[in-house]
Amino acid sequence: MTEKQSTEDLSKPEYTEQAKVFSGPAIAATVSLLLGFYTLMITHHISRLSKEMDKFIHSYGYWIPGSSGVGPDGSIGSYSGKETLALLVWGLSWAIFHLLWRKQDLPIRGWLPIFLGGLLVVSLGFIHPVVDPIILLLIDIFG
Amino acid sequence: MSTEQYLHGQMAKFLVRTQAITALFILLALAGLDFFFPTSYRLQAGVHGISSISALVLGTYLTHRAYALIRGVHINFHSLRYWLVGAAGVNFLGAVSGNWIYMRYRGQDGPKDWILANVPAFHNYLMEFKEFISLFPFPLMLVAAFILFYYDEAIRARRDLTQLVGILILLAWLFLLMGFVAGLVLAKLRFV
Repeated sequence: MTEKQSTEDLSKPEYTEQAKVFSGPAIAATVSLLLGFYTLMITHHISRLSKEMDKFIHSYGYWIPGSSGVGPDGSIGSYSGKETLALLVWGLSWAIFHLLWRKQDLPIRGWLPIFLGGLLVVSLGFIHPVVDPIILLLIDIFG
Repeated sequence: MSTEQYLHGQMAKFLVRTQAITALFILLALAGLDFFFPTSYRLQAGVHGISSISALVLGTYLTHRAYALIRGVHINFHSLRYWLVGAAGVNFLGAVSGNWIYMRYRGQDGPKDWILANVPAFHNYLMEFKEFISLFPFPLMLVAAFILFYYDEAIRARRDLTQLVGILILLAWLFLLMGFVAGLVLAKLRFV
């Protein structure tokens, strides 16, 4: 490539635009997604530890219509608290990471395998025969 | 292009669209007929079924756009981002109506009680998985839409970003399909 060609290429709109495009906001949006999903999984397992813990998680979801009640119409119970906590973690972490990384160019291709792996692990975390032995082991270790 | 070729092209386009619309309406009947089922919870069942099927059909259509994004083909990002907002919208409706029908599922003498008494694994393993992963497609679609709105035309300069959007769409579709099949199996097992 000659020097002239190289200068011409760099002056193309594509390259000038690229200098202004930061990947940070896209990474922030996907990191916060993963944190929200993990919050769902962790709160779900915490709520299974005891009735008190279930009540504690449930208390965050009282604002959702149909979160409490018995009878044929039922209620969603502590699922409401898990959803609320996940929404809070998702929204807050998205705002924080967005502000922190909005002018940063972070490697998307490096983040992608971690993101996909994280999604696989969190999905497995909802399959009880897979995750329950790990939960029992953690209870044994930490009492 | 000859007049004959043009007419054949137009006819194929017409048939493709007719096929897609026909498929959508026939599939919607799968849940739409829930409105006439002999149960007090037919409204919840119908709304959840229709929103879930719409989300799945829209999600499947969007996977075609996702492959174009991953391949790096020049596409209309402005159109795609509105499709993604629509997909996020129906997925949100699917999640909210899912909450609504989940109340009856857990209610007295509801499907949960019946399943636990007869085939507990379907609740303990399948439902406990389904109720959470079904919440994933809405935020995945929303983030994909956010990325397209945030970067606007500048995204054309970043292939890695367009690929990320494509992968987010494929992931949303995967979780949608898993949630849909699990929901259908549970509804077949014991309807609300």
